[in-house]
Amino acid sequence: MQKPHSREDLSYMVEMIGITKRFPGIVANDQISFAVRPGEIHALLGENGAGKSTLMSILTGLYRPDEGEIRLRGQQVHLQSPRDAVQRGIGMVHQHFKLVNSFTVAENILLGLQDGTGEVYQLHEINKKIEACSREYGLQLDPQAKIWQLSVGEQQRAEIIKLLYRGADLLILDEPTAVLTPQEATELYKTLRRMAELGKSVIVISHKLSEVLEHTDAITVLRSGRSVGTVATSGTSEQELTQMMVGRMLCPVLDKANVMPGKPVLTLENVTALGDRGLPALKEVTLTVNGGEILGIAGVAGNGQKELAEVIAGLRAIESGTKWINSVDHTGDTPQAAIHAGVSYIPEDRLGTGLVPNLNAVENILLKMYQKMPGWRINWSQAARDTTAIIKQHDIKIAHLDAPVKMLSGGNLQKLLLGREIFHHPELIVAMYPMRGLDIGAIETIRKLLLEVRAAGKGVLLISEELDELTCMADRIAVFHEGMVMGVVRPQEVTIETIGVMMAGKRMAVAMSGN
Amino acid sequence: MNKFKRGIALLLSFLLVAAIALTGCGGNQTTGDDKSKDVGNQQKLKVAFVYVGPVGDAGWSHSHDQGRKYLEKEMPNVETTYVESVPEGADAERVLTELASKGNKIIFATSFGYMDPVIKVAQKFPDVVFMHATGFKTAPNVGTYFGREYQARYLSGIAAGKQTQTNVLGYVAAFPIPEVVRGINAFTLGVRSVNPNATVKVVWTNTWYNPATEKDAAKSLLDSGADVIAMHQDTPAPMQAAEEKGKFAVGYHTDMSSFAPKAVLTGPVWNWGPYYVKTVKAVMDKTWTNEQYWGPMADKIIDIAPFGPMVGDEAKALIMKKRDAIDKGEWDVFTGPIKDQLGTVRVAEGQKMTDQEMLSFDWFVQGVEGMISK
Amino acid sequence: MKGKWRWEKRETSSKTVTILVPIFSCVVGLLFAGIFIWVSGKNPLLVYGLMVEGALGSAYGISETVVKAIPLMLTGLAVSLAFRMQLWNIGAEGQFYMGAFGATWAALTFPDWPAYLLLPTMLMLGFVAGGIWGLLPAIPRAYFKVNETITTLLMNYIAILWVDYFVFGPWKDPKGMNFPLTAPFSEGALLPAFGTSRIHVGLILALLIAAIFYYVLQYTKWGFEIRVSGESPRAAHYAGMNHKRNILLVMLISGGIAGIAGMTEVSAITQRLQHGISPGYGYTAIIIAWLARLHPLAIVFVSFLFGGLLVGGFSIQTSGFPAATVAMLQGAILFFVVGGEIFTQYRLTWGGKGER
Repeated sequence: MQKPHSREDLSYMVEMIGITKRFPGIVANDQISFAVRPGEIHALLGENGAGKSTLMSILTGLYRPDEGEIRLRGQQVHLQSPRDAVQRGIGMVHQHFKLVNSFTVAENILLGLQDGTGEVYQLHEINKKIEACSREYGLQLDPQAKIWQLSVGEQQRAEIIKLLYRGADLLILDEPTAVLTPQEATELYKTLRRMAELGKSVIVISHKLSEVLEHTDAITVLRSGRSVGTVATSGTSEQELTQMMVGRMLCPVLDKANVMPGKPVLTLENVTALGDRGLPALKEVTLTVNGGEILGIAGVAGNGQKELAEVIAGLRAIESGTKWINSVDHTGDTPQAAIHAGVSYIPEDRLGTGLVPNLNAVENILLKMYQKMPGWRINWSQAARDTTAIIKQHDIKIAHLDAPVKMLSGGNLQKLLLGREIFHHPELIVAMYPMRGLDIGAIETIRKLLLEVRAAGKGVLLISEELDELTCMADRIAVFHEGMVMGVVRPQEVTIETIGVMMAGKRMAVAMSGN
Repeated sequence: MNKFKRGIALLLSFLLVAAIALTGCGGNQTTGDDKSKDVGNQQKLKVAFVYVGPVGDAGWSHSHDQGRKYLEKEMPNVETTYVESVPEGADAERVLTELASKGNKIIFATSFGYMDPVIKVAQKFPDVVFMHATGFKTAPNVGTYFGREYQARYLSGIAAGKQTQTNVLGYVAAFPIPEVVRGINAFTLGVRSVNPNATVKVVWTNTWYNPATEKDAAKSLLDSGADVIAMHQDTPAPMQAAEEKGKFAVGYHTDMSSFAPKAVLTGPVWNWGPYYVKTVKAVMDKTWTNEQYWGPMADKIIDIAPFGPMVGDEAKALIMKKRDAIDKGEWDVFTGPIKDQLGTVRVAEGQKMTDQEMLSFDWFVQGVEGMISK
Repeated sequence: MKGKWRWEKRETSSKTVTILVPIFSCVVGLLFAGIFIWVSGKNPLLVYGLMVEGALGSAYGISETVVKAIPLMLTGLAVSLAFRMQLWNIGAEGQFYMGAFGATWAALTFPDWPAYLLLPTMLMLGFVAGGIWGLLPAIPRAYFKVNETITTLLMNYIAILWVDYFVFGPWKDPKGMNFPLTAPFSEGALLPAFGTSRIHVGLILALLIAAIFYYVLQYTKWGFEIRVSGESPRAAHYAGMNHKRNILLVMLISGGIAGIAGMTEVSAITQRLQHGISPGYGYTAIIIAWLARLHPLAIVFVSFLFGGLLVGGFSIQTSGFPAATVAMLQGAILFFVVGGEIFTQYRLTWGGKGER
């Protein structure tokens, strides 16, 4: 699938060859190669944390790669800074626009131009140029309008014009349609197509499969910091892409005890909840987690997993539907009530939500325990004892109890967090991407801990991106797509391909029969 | 974490002790110097001044500091110190105490707000003489002093009344206290003595010293049609505002013509020096009494600044005539009939307001546009 | 060799660095101001010596330093409690004024009450009035995420003008010749002082509040919630803490403590309400809280330091140094301390312009 690159090949706008970028403890990009032709709309597809952002940050001069090279129009370049990248014709539209709200479109465009050269700009000339630019690419926009007066789609246009004005030949758009209405999205792709026709290259970062399939020419899929491959859009399908994204991993030999599922620990019935943007993120979700069972949640990131976890933990309000914990109605729970009901939540954002970076281990252990202490005082000696016990029990490498936990490595952080969450024997653990970013050893430990909870007859809700992971760990898997449950399957009864099809939005019955 | 913070506190306190020890030594040395100086000047009488504003402000405190310098020049056997920018709250008491305990025999406290602290500190230092400007409380060792600035206000009002074209005059005023109200009234009476149709618009700034606010207040008055700006503030900012607009102004405290040469007609100016000399001499001669001195223009404690070139001869002659009458005691500013803003006669024909009445002025005379909150 | 100075983020903020940087900054501030004093023809050592002598050289100087430190301490504690939760209460000045107002109301309404009744009433009303002034901006902050920095700041002006209205208007002393002062408080409304000094019971109150503040933060569940909320509101929410309730509570108490500062100042020092009772205590408090790194016990200490700086500042004037010397000195110290903050998080390194 990967196209070979030759040094003489001038048919590419940009080539990134063997790019490797390491951060402390993580290899964000591992030998990624990737190339875009002029006139091409190229999608970069991958889960959160797959390495897309890092790769694009390298291309826009924000990071420098540890290994590998970048060629622009066949010439090797060393991008020194974002400004350098802009000057070489690389421009990026970020998810969060970088516009000054109280300025006009023209003034915003002017802003980026000022180079400290003391050059005087003629606003009316700029206006003319902007209008010409808008006409050429079919981007309608009044240069005199103030940014705050514009809709989100128009603001995006302003960002794009800003890049075009600065002479960008390669435009990178980070999740451009996430904030747009479907009409605006169609409009945007028309514009992008027009730019491609005029010889520019466009890279679109996305994880919306249908959109990518409809509007792009080629698709590169990243997974876990590696490039899975590049495919021509015309020759691929949603299923293939899903598989490329979620990947295959060998199922390790797990000491998975035979546990008879007990009574339902958690039951959701027709639960609907809103996402951060105020749109429904969970739609009529019905599912059950039984004691002694791991229920896996499969789905492409951003399909309601986070909202599901937060609804269960009481952090997000339920619009309609019912939530039962141990057969008691807990629909209107506050986070505190959920904790008291025995719900433990391992958030995706470990350091910042699950743990407080600047507090020490004892204080972080206390976070979920202080409310259980009698009276209004903190029992520090008990907290210290419990902390020591947790550290010992899970073999957490920690220099000093007094040191802020941000000094801990990722694996030890997760062990501390999980250790705390299971310390009081919760009824239900909701674990969101608990293995992400960890090394093999830590992954093993976390798996073992979750299986122990299961063996103790408690419920586990495991949200993961790795299908293999889920099929190894989970007793049943609920597949999510756009906030809906596409079906609940037993891993031994279906193939990974079937789950992939369901993740792409087909109901279980359709998926089973279709394959 | 806790240990660490306790550590900070400990270390800081240690450092402070070290710093005190170190600088303390330096301090002792300097007092040693002072003492040696003291021995040389043992005969010198120490006199201290407390100012509410900075001495360089061309305003109230500046005028007192001119008086202090005059005193030092006239009486070589007097040594003066001053403390400037002393707020009228908790700090005044401490500064006064410190000055008294450092051997000053006469202390001039030059702002109204020092009244209570002066009385309190005076009790603790019975052999120090305290002179409090503008106040009304006395004690065996506390006297008060002030000048009849309203007389000069009235005269400057004549110049302003002759100068105005629009018959609207503006007055930038600090606080609605009797001293300021009295000045506004005297000025208005002066204006209307030559120009019965003129009105004086008052804007309160609620600050003694804030050039920006004062200037804005003056501008707003100029925008509403005033063509002469008078003021009771501590900076020349209102004068400058008038100058910028090509209008006229009446200064206060000191001759402000250098700040706005084309605008300043004249203005009341203080001349504390001779009074300070007189008072210090009286203390030295043991003839000092705790009187409440309110000096008239005849004593020269208050005067008007030299006229600007735009002031006509007619106005000058009128002013000189009135001045003569005031100096001779034939007439004073607040002589009836005087009507208030509602037209009610408050001072009957032929009557004169008493000092007590003038010192607690809380109403405006006819012709003033403005309000005193009550 | 090509190279240049570079800022490098510190992996950890080391203890010694956090302690030494502010101290070092103070010293640099003194040196910096010393240069100016020296250039203007005076001996900086003499100036500093006189300041220390004025502030600490005599029993009276020390007592006055303490007097000055009391309102600074109380307002410093007030703002640091709010800052602990990342609530930027810039409104201690206004809360101080409202506290003074509330206490004055009691003093003027019940002048005949004995001290044991009147003083607690004044204290309570001072707390309540200041507390309400803190609570008002907390409500939009908690429920609509309205930035409290702006609202608390603007409420200062309202409070100051509110008090002005009363001292220029309804509460003006009838015997005060129309000056902006209330009548002097009755005997029962005056906080007792120690001996002949002006050090009043407010000191004990301030120290007590500092101790309680320390204890609450360190040893109570609620204090723990404040600390967590300040570090990470998301984690606080996750751990089931009632963030909104805590915002309201903290701002109420913060405003209330600043109100107590206002109460002690009118009751013990000015002994009546008057225009301009605070020479900016509420703003100096922010700097004190910052310097003390929000630690209640350190605030006590830094307040004394600042009290000394202010008192010493006036006493050097009697030796012929203009008031501006002190203003410059204070400005220089603050500038360097706030500027020096960067060194606790970054270190300056000399390095080649290589790839990282």
